[in-house]
Amino acid sequence: MDFKRNIWLQRAYTFVVCVCALLLIGLIVSPLQRKAWGEVRSLQPELNLKEVEGALGQGLVIGLLGGFRTIIADMVFIRANVYWEKKDREKTEALINLTTAIDPRPMFFWLNGSRIMAYDIPIWRIREAGGLDDVPKSVQDEIYQEQAQRGIDFIDRAGKYHPGDYRVPLEKAQIYNNKLKDTEKAAEYFLQAYHSEDGPYYTARIYAELLRQMNRQQEAYDFYRQLYNELPDDPQANKPVVLERIRELEDELNTPAMQRLPAQPGERYLPGYMQEDLPIGVKTPFGDTQVPPGEIYPYPEPAAPAGHSH
Amino acid sequence: MNGICHRILTIGRNTFLDAVRQKFFNALVILSVALIVSSRFFRQFDFGSGELKFIADFGLGAILLFGSILAVVATAQLFYSEIENRTALTILAKPVHRWEFLAGKFLGVFLLLAVFTALMAGILGIMLYWRESSLMDRYGDQFGGQRLVSYAGLAGFAVLQWLKLGVLCAITLFVSSFSNTNLYSVVVSFFVMIICQLQYIARDSWESIGNPALKGLVWGLSLLFPNFQMFNVGDVMLFPHDATEQLSAGTPWMIGGYGVVYIFVFVGLAVFAFRRREI
Amino acid sequence: MEAPAIRIHSLVKDFRIGLRGWKLRAVDDVSLDIHDNEVYGLLGPNGCGKSTTMKVVLGLLEPTVGGCEIYGVPSSQVKSRLNVGFLPEAPYFYRYLTGRELLKFYAKVCSVEPGKIKPRVTEVLEMVGLTEAADRRVGTYSKGMLQRIGIAQAIVHDPKLIILDEPTAGVDPIGSAAIADLIRALKAQGKTILLCSHLLAQVEGVCDRVAIMDRGKVVLEGKVDDLLSKHDQQSLLVDTFPEAARADVEAALAKHGAKLTGVTTPRISLDDLFLKHTGKGGPKQS
Repeated sequence: MDFKRNIWLQRAYTFVVCVCALLLIGLIVSPLQRKAWGEVRSLQPELNLKEVEGALGQGLVIGLLGGFRTIIADMVFIRANVYWEKKDREKTEALINLTTAIDPRPMFFWLNGSRIMAYDIPIWRIREAGGLDDVPKSVQDEIYQEQAQRGIDFIDRAGKYHPGDYRVPLEKAQIYNNKLKDTEKAAEYFLQAYHSEDGPYYTARIYAELLRQMNRQQEAYDFYRQLYNELPDDPQANKPVVLERIRELEDELNTPAMQRLPAQPGERYLPGYMQEDLPIGVKTPFGDTQVPPGEIYPYPEPAAPAGHSH
Repeated sequence: MNGICHRILTIGRNTFLDAVRQKFFNALVILSVALIVSSRFFRQFDFGSGELKFIADFGLGAILLFGSILAVVATAQLFYSEIENRTALTILAKPVHRWEFLAGKFLGVFLLLAVFTALMAGILGIMLYWRESSLMDRYGDQFGGQRLVSYAGLAGFAVLQWLKLGVLCAITLFVSSFSNTNLYSVVVSFFVMIICQLQYIARDSWESIGNPALKGLVWGLSLLFPNFQMFNVGDVMLFPHDATEQLSAGTPWMIGGYGVVYIFVFVGLAVFAFRRREI
Repeated sequence: MEAPAIRIHSLVKDFRIGLRGWKLRAVDDVSLDIHDNEVYGLLGPNGCGKSTTMKVVLGLLEPTVGGCEIYGVPSSQVKSRLNVGFLPEAPYFYRYLTGRELLKFYAKVCSVEPGKIKPRVTEVLEMVGLTEAADRRVGTYSKGMLQRIGIAQAIVHDPKLIILDEPTAGVDPIGSAAIADLIRALKAQGKTILLCSHLLAQVEGVCDRVAIMDRGKVVLEGKVDDLLSKHDQQSLLVDTFPEAARADVEAALAKHGAKLTGVTTPRISLDDLFLKHTGKGGPKQS
């Protein structure tokens, strides 16, 4: 067959050459793609189409697949906010769930979603049931409990996509503390938040204070002592506050002088010590001057709480 | 060699001028700017520092959406107007190789996409900076004393988007080099774009398929099309503090290199398919 | 011997059309030689294969059989087009460029030396009578102006061979006359011109030689004068011709064995009449 005269042969030839070239290039760049895509993919959670297909319709599903996942999630979340303004709890909750199903990456959705569920919706429900004055306290409590649990369940799901993120236990701790009044659980999650990467220093202090609330002073004291040792000399770590708490607890527990934390640099008042008993290397600039208990040299007021790294 | 570069640049510059003077490009730019600027709308929701995420998502979405439309429609339009107005004949009747003509066309649209992406990313950057500054005053605690948005990340991401749109432009040029109508090129190119966005599904799943024939088919598909999903790293690059994991420093370069390789491949295939086309 | 400007030998071009690839023979065994500094007309009805022949000459189409050379260089090579300018049929140029920008672009594509581009563009604009419209966008040009800017882009790099496809199609008689004048001026500059047209009357006055094509074949070829003159007949022009004089003439002719076959009143062409009453044409500006 004359190749030059047969247009179909020519087209087939062009097609085969193009396909072969693309396959070859695909193979050649495969290692590069594997490396780069492997990393990018680890940052993109699997899209659960089954969960969102019914709610979105075909058009938006194509948009999702076409690379507009984040923007569609944003739009759904904004819809949720529109219903939030109208205090429509069913649609608000449904759309928040849909938002995180579309794009579970932004922590923003999880935090705001769980707060809406735990803090806002119970108020709406009580109002729907007749208002704060008319609904019996027991029913109100039940509503608070139920919604708080929803908020916790919701933020728990964030943990799957953000393992090790301190904001998940922190949010849970706050709901337990503020809404469920479950100090035990709240303390547990504040501690977990502190132990997470970038967990803020203040979560540790809240944990210890919650221990004190539960009358577990000794435990709180031991924790503070350990905390004081491991905190860096970073103004954001607020070490003087921890020291202040330690002194308070030493007083409350009547800790014997020798078991107390030795005087720290900068401390003015050293309870139970004579000047000559001061640990080596520690001096007070005031000599024998007595000052009221608990007072501390003014440290610069720390800025906003910062995280720490383990 | 000098002459070749000169001719390609001349054709590219002409294509670019032709494109920017068209209403289509201007309309698209106005639409995109409107979309980015309309992100002021988010202020009514009081999202705190989360507002920046919304502004960024909508801005990047506008760049992707309108950039894709621009890459496909402008390439097809500028290519077919040459054929239909017979200006391709006047150029190819001069001592110009067909590949120089195609390379020039590509360069023109690629330049157009550069201007578009830079303009959009610039406006988005200004919007983000302005909102971030005022949000930092109001919600300082959410920022921890530092900016949340990485503007270098935005610039880097804009370059990656530009390369991705360049691949799309090269694909459209390839489709146009053998298709007979403008509409066909546009439809097929958008279709290919969606396949490229979904290529990762084939890529990630072929190994787990039992049926050997199907496995081979899916494997082949994963090799045939470039993976556009790889370029979707906007949130990690713009908000590095917010992400649980970071991209390693080399990855954006790898993604960019991947885009450059496919640009050359598709322009090369376009040249190959166009070599004996009767115009 | 120097190679002819264009040599077409045994050219056949088939097109496949439709899904089944029906064969359509557009050019059927055409052989032509076009010499240097000649105005050559390739004439014939629409669809006779003129434009296809031109495109093969320019290397825009591949021949099925046979081939073409331009100044001895095969058309398949890009360098064959170094000295060629081409005006396609009914061109629409880049609407968003001005006439001057358009010519600059083509000059650059043809690698005219950068220093010479500006004066050359001005010169060519002057030559085609578009100086006043040079800074207007091409999108606002009339048909005749488009045709003239088309010729300008074909000659901007000063080629030796200029190929014009239907240069006067759709152009009014004034414009056609201007284009004809331009073609004569180019010939005077030593250029070779190949033009294709179905408007036979318009090219009659400019072509040195013509070939008439029909259904892909050359059916007639030769010098215009040779082809159009009826060598076995002569005509006399007489101011007044009374009936009696006619009888005498017939008698005188009969004596020499010749015969008067008809008496007609000479007519000028409608084009000439039009030109006379519209101020002799000259390049039209709008």
